[in-house]
Amino acid sequence: MKPAFDPVQMAIPFFVIAIVLEILLARFGKARANYEPRDAATSLMMGLGSTIAGLVTGGAVFAASLWVWEHRLFTIPMTAVWAWVVLFFAEDLTYYWFHRLSHERRFWWASHVNHHSSTHYNLTTALRQTWTGGVAGTWLLWLPLSLLGFPPAMVAIQKGISLVYQFWIHTEAVRRMPAWFEAVFNTPSHHRVHHARNARYLDANYAGILIIWDRVFGTFIPEDDAEPCRYGIVRNLPNFNLFTNVFHEWIGIGKDLAGSRSPREVLGYLFGPPGWSPDGSRETSHTLKARWRAREEGKGEANSTLPHP
Amino acid sequence: MDKALLIQLLGSALAVALLVGLAAWARLARPTAPLDQEAARRLLADEFPDHRIDAVWIGGDSASVVARSADQALVLWRKGDGYVARSAPWRDVAAAGVVDGRVRLAAVDGAPRLSLGDRAWPPAEAAA
Repeated sequence: MKPAFDPVQMAIPFFVIAIVLEILLARFGKARANYEPRDAATSLMMGLGSTIAGLVTGGAVFAASLWVWEHRLFTIPMTAVWAWVVLFFAEDLTYYWFHRLSHERRFWWASHVNHHSSTHYNLTTALRQTWTGGVAGTWLLWLPLSLLGFPPAMVAIQKGISLVYQFWIHTEAVRRMPAWFEAVFNTPSHHRVHHARNARYLDANYAGILIIWDRVFGTFIPEDDAEPCRYGIVRNLPNFNLFTNVFHEWIGIGKDLAGSRSPREVLGYLFGPPGWSPDGSRETSHTLKARWRAREEGKGEANSTLPHP
Repeated sequence: MDKALLIQLLGSALAVALLVGLAAWARLARPTAPLDQEAARRLLADEFPDHRIDAVWIGGDSASVVARSADQALVLWRKGDGYVARSAPWRDVAAAGVVDGRVRLAAVDGAPRLSLGDRAWPPAEAAA
């Protein structure tokens, strides 16, 4: 069950036209874009599958939102401009924390990782959406908005607007937007960093529409032209298999849980950061970044001891 | 399933096929030249920046690399227009079996099959 006005459904023709344009402009050397057909096929099939998965869980999610709204604290009119302005900021802040949780805790990363498994960064990557978000329960994070009094349809529309906004930032064709725009909004440059697997760029730029949340909460990292983004996940997948893409991290969790020897290990494997292991032998973003910092400091020290000409 | 939804899904599947066909026609994959020692070492430095490389073996199709770093094997193999990187204990990788001119690295996550060409396995370059 979805509201009558669904921004994502309305934007689908625009998505298709934009991808065609990106490919043609790149083909004729007018824009930067790389496409690997099997990678693009995986991304697009995941987008289609995500729509179908959404049909399965969407009704339950909307019903839960409706139930919460019936127990709301305030009544917020859907027709008031101020309500849309407040919701814009509140939904975007919710998205920031959803997105951060989806990267920093393995249970939710298992659902979100497939958005990041492409080693390319083009407009099809934007459509590489999860099939298991409904099961992972991240939608619960939006329920407080309905509890406050925002009608569920209004929240669903704003979520759709955010998703549509985030489509265009999945491109290498746009290098930088004007400085004022880069300061306030999420842009292709900021989001390239988010999709990069270089150690220095890990766990950064979680923004939906407004990059201000990353600046406020200390997760903003600017794109450094001296270190081009290498896209994908820390351990890139060995094949283009659609089901490997969708389920590999869930399978990994299952294997780890089967080998767990204590409640601490169970909790660590489920809710620790991706890469957590009881003996610390695996790599997390934290350890990768720490090693990167150590390498950089080592380079700095080596440079400072060089004799001056 | 109602008719409108079915039409929408079929239309989406057709759009997917057309877009993939367009991407294939446009030939926009990243250039991936056959690997030589220099290119292999550059890739290894990106993927395994904390490892000292003792020896590098390049597959017969110049599309895979096995490097030795102390008791670890660092493996790279081509996937599409990029490479997948994994590490595994050297002794397990060196003990891998050869079938039809390919070595299957079962000890490596993803179990890649690397082309040997006229090369020997295990690599003489990395013998203990």
